[in-house]
Amino acid sequence: MTGPEVTVGSEVTPLERTIELRDMVAYAGATWDWHRLHYDADYLAKRRLPAPVVDGQVFGALLAEQLQDWLGPRAVVRRLHFRFKNLVFAGETVRCTGRVIAVAGDTLRVEQRIVVVDGGEPRRVAVEPAGAEVVLRAEAVS
Amino acid sequence: MTEEIRALVGREVSYTAPEELGRAAIRYFARAVGDDNPLYTDDAYARGHGYDGVIAPPTLICETNQYADQPPDADGYAGHDWHIEIPGSRKVRGGNTYTFHEPVRPDDVITAAWRLDGVTERRTSAGQEMLVVSSVATYTNQHGRLLATNEETIIYVAVHVAPEEEP
Repeated sequence: MTGPEVTVGSEVTPLERTIELRDMVAYAGATWDWHRLHYDADYLAKRRLPAPVVDGQVFGALLAEQLQDWLGPRAVVRRLHFRFKNLVFAGETVRCTGRVIAVAGDTLRVEQRIVVVDGGEPRRVAVEPAGAEVVLRAEAVS
Repeated sequence: MTEEIRALVGREVSYTAPEELGRAAIRYFARAVGDDNPLYTDDAYARGHGYDGVIAPPTLICETNQYADQPPDADGYAGHDWHIEIPGSRKVRGGNTYTFHEPVRPDDVITAAWRLDGVTERRTSAGQEMLVVSSVATYTNQHGRLLATNEETIIYVAVHVAPEEEP
């Protein structure tokens, strides 16, 4: 199997996702996290928040998925870090981008970020800085 | 910073899941985040790529509250919490650093051991006081294998200029 070109400066294929309230409810259930921030209109109104707030941990999952989709099943994410910059609300679309910043043997380091986009245009940063260390295993003999 | 909060540094608490992680939980998580990678749902595919069968998406172990088995609090939150109350502040998530040591499998029974590593006073760029609480969770399975660690930062910001609510 041939993978993507992986050298310093290589762009990680972007991942774009619209996060609807339905997806957030599914995520709350899947992670046993029923925090009212993610769905409760009365709770949000009292805190002057315009809409349900996307659970920040979702972005960790998207950053890992972006790398795994780009590099294929032989890639193993070893480390992943991310810092939250701005809230993301139900119905918004996020775009994960990234590029390779170091390659040493079978290990690469990637920097990533997530922005909220609207009509294809970036509106605000959701997650930055972020990045990962990924190991590319030799393909298993099946 | 009060002595009361400073005294929390070094506190530890450990939770063991009441059951295995389970294949359904893995498929549910992958589906909820929109990840259709067959490594998480197709045993034959996973075996073809060097695993013993399906694995969990890497961040699931750090994101699920399955192990905690806590009753939900007033906010509806049912995960690990240090229950730090700082009047006049808003709790905000800072960020996380995950380290994945071994693939997580459906039959893993997860223990999460949390340690409160540090409490630091800082100021936001706007000059507002904030308290940064750093914790680390270490996840192991029933065989004592280290699966992952999760370094987490929670920030308590004075309410007036809080730009973010806990996401």
